[in-house]
Amino acid sequence: MATLFRIFWSARQVLPKRISRTLSSAPATSLTHTETKEPKESEITSITVDAKDDITMLSGVPEEHIKTRMVRICVPARNAMQSGSFNSRYWRIEFETRERWENPLMGWTSSADPLSNMAVNFSSKEAAIEFCEKNGWEYYVEEYKAPSSKKKSYGANFSWNKKTRVSTK
Amino acid sequence: MASSRVAVIGTKQVKPILSANKTEAKRRVLNLYKAWYRHLPYLVKDYNIAVTVPETKAKLRELFLKNKHVSDIRAIDLLVIKGQMDLVETMRIWKQKTHVMMFFKDTNIKKPTAFLSRFYEGHD
Repeated sequence: MATLFRIFWSARQVLPKRISRTLSSAPATSLTHTETKEPKESEITSITVDAKDDITMLSGVPEEHIKTRMVRICVPARNAMQSGSFNSRYWRIEFETRERWENPLMGWTSSADPLSNMAVNFSSKEAAIEFCEKNGWEYYVEEYKAPSSKKKSYGANFSWNKKTRVSTK
Repeated sequence: MASSRVAVIGTKQVKPILSANKTEAKRRVLNLYKAWYRHLPYLVKDYNIAVTVPETKAKLRELFLKNKHVSDIRAIDLLVIKGQMDLVETMRIWKQKTHVMMFFKDTNIKKPTAFLSRFYEGHD
């Protein structure tokens, strides 16, 4: 029993070493014969790829939601109830509306569109466009119209050269 | 409403994920293909699915060829990594039968185009 155990023990000691030796010798010979001048693959730190990124096949988005969707890129409207304009500091992407219906039980609005409530904010228009390009979505940009403030004063009505009403006195 | 497109042309230098060149990436893809190919008979047996081995082989080929337009080495690497993970999950039976059958799409019933038949169908 003791001798059997010793044989097994010695086998356990030897076997890993032998395997590791064969493993370590294999790449060494191939390096000397074939890859002497080329840099090792682990040494390469940069590769050249197309400048346009395309992640449609990686993102896991179903094909029907890549090819058939239209994205609107716009600056969201200012909150009409308040004077602050914080909403209009970013660009937002939103998807076109798909079929919606009224839930017969509760009267809630239902939709089968997984992207209906997705609205992503970007700091710039270019970033939003790049995101859409990368994801393969069709898009259009609604350009931002900066509101122009008109000067209004009551006194101007009686001025000789800044009259706001010119047709009838 | 102003439609615009940004034409991104040219190449750029990026950090590789696994492969340093196209040859290496191709080798990885072929290795993955072979690994899947060898596993297909066991897959049919293990999951007891209602498809034959030649059908699974055709499907494997179709799914690989679906991404043949991919030229970005990093994208190829990521696809290989995802395929590898999928293979391991399939081999270890971490999936159910339905998950395997998801590779095979449902029978495609064409949506009616005529006015009345669209009305009978209900939704658009």
